[in-house]
Amino acid sequence: MGKVKILYVDDEAINLMLFQANLEKKYDILIAENPFTGLQHIAENKDIKVVVSDMKMPVMNGIEFILKARLLSSEVAYYILTGFEITEDIQEALNQGIIRRYFRKPFNIQEISREIENTITDYYEQQE
Amino acid sequence: MKRLKFEHRITALYLILGALWILFSDKLLGYLFSDIASLSRFQTFKGVFYVVTTAVFFYFFITKHLVKLRNTEKELENHKQNLTQLVHEKTKNLDEAIEALRKTNEKLNEKNKIINKQNTELKSTLKALKEMQFQLIQIEKMASLGILTAGISHEINNPLNFIMGGLTGLQNYIRESKIEDEKVELYLKSIKTGIERATSIMNGLNQLSRNNDELNEKCDLHAIIENSLAISKGQWKSNIEVIRQFAAYPILIPGNVGKLHQVFINLIVNAFQSIGDKGTVTITTETQKDKAIVTIADTGCGISKDKLSRITDPFYTTKEPGHGTGLGLSITYNIIQDHKGTLEFKSALKKGTTVTVVLPSKFI
Ligand SMILES: Nc1ncnc2c1ncn2[C@@H]1O[C@H](COP(=O)(O)OP(=O)(O)OP(=O)(O)O)[C@@H](O)[C@H]1O
Ligand SMILES: [Mg+2]
Repeated sequence: MGKVKILYVDDEAINLMLFQANLEKKYDILIAENPFTGLQHIAENKDIKVVVSDMKMPVMNGIEFILKARLLSSEVAYYILTGFEITEDIQEALNQGIIRRYFRKPFNIQEISREIENTITDYYEQQE
Repeated sequence: MKRLKFEHRITALYLILGALWILFSDKLLGYLFSDIASLSRFQTFKGVFYVVTTAVFFYFFITKHLVKLRNTEKELENHKQNLTQLVHEKTKNLDEAIEALRKTNEKLNEKNKIINKQNTELKSTLKALKEMQFQLIQIEKMASLGILTAGISHEINNPLNFIMGGLTGLQNYIRESKIEDEKVELYLKSIKTGIERATSIMNGLNQLSRNNDELNEKCDLHAIIENSLAISKGQWKSNIEVIRQFAAYPILIPGNVGKLHQVFINLIVNAFQSIGDKGTVTITTETQKDKAIVTIADTGCGISKDKLSRITDPFYTTKEPGHGTGLGLSITYNIIQDHKGTLEFKSALKKGTTVTVVLPSKFI
């Protein structure tokens, strides 16, 4: 079994680089600097298991992006990152089970990594 | 010449006439009669004549005088009557004038009362206006702060995220390269502390600008206060005694459970922090009509009068750097404002502070 594929979408290039650098040993990280590239990745990589998206991005916010992404692949565990407090949109998405959790920026990569680990375990347990 | 008085005049006249009569009447009779018989007869008439003459004389004399007197008396009487009438009229006029004055006075008194009433009304209106103005200023401050923080928060959290990500990368690198150096540890720790402190400020600011949350959850005040005490354990030094004077019945109010926790954590932590050596924190709960009232009274350092108005200002703190952001009370104030409640401080320097929180307890 190869490394689990994760997509990270954020309009800040440094965040993308750091995320990748910190987690590339464990996971196969795909990055996208905008939601459109993100959607493209999802369309091309059906084996993506986890998508982490920033909330505030130009053109489309994280929740809007995830709603579109779900149409392409519903098997994925979605997470939101927010530099701000939880908004109504995020609360709504949480309530409806569209996202599993949200993380606050500045985020702790270890915490995200642990969460991803759990998700993957859940996923494989379901598969068996 | 000075006129003689009537009684003197009459006496004098009588004396003179009498004297003259005595002196000359006999001589006159001597001339008229020579025989003794007639003389003695007339001698008798002479007396009668004198008396009659003087009587007639006096009659006119006295009558004339009396008429004069009576006239005078009558005039006087008239005059007196006139005077009485005049006095009567004048008295009546005066009475009327007094009555008019009294009425005017009454009216004036009434006017005065109205003016006094209006005056007190004006005073209370002014006070209400001043309070409103203060609240408006506070709300305005908070509103602009909210807009500002929403912007800043996003902008600051990203760079913080860079530092955090960079730090994680460095920590991993150092661990993998097996570099063990006390100094390096210190550097990494400092960066981490810096991020954490900045993050907690940003979180506090975020709380300030949040205002779209549910405010109609069922909140159990006593449970919230107990939780808040538990959460504040870190600041609860062993020399502080907490006295609970809770209402004997549960107090349920509408509100936001999370935010009300924040309110009481902030107030309790402030109370704990205000106590240096030894002291008590007394928490009282009660209800009055449609209101729940919580007071938190500490025996701590107190707040001076000039500072009392500033403690709810954002970033106002007297605590050492790293020990307070100064956001606690402005967040608290805002949350209570959102709940349509009031927050009040009474404080005496070196004696302690009493915070009163009043929240509406009626569910709509
Ligand atoms: N119970 C109290 N007794 C004495 N001083 C108080 C009390 N409560 C507040 N203050 C004063 O008001 C200031 C502002 O309080 P506030 O809670 O807003 O900020 P802070 O406690 O300094 O910081 P933070 O709450 O963000 O950790 C405090 O620094 C302190 O000087
Ligand atoms: Mg405080």
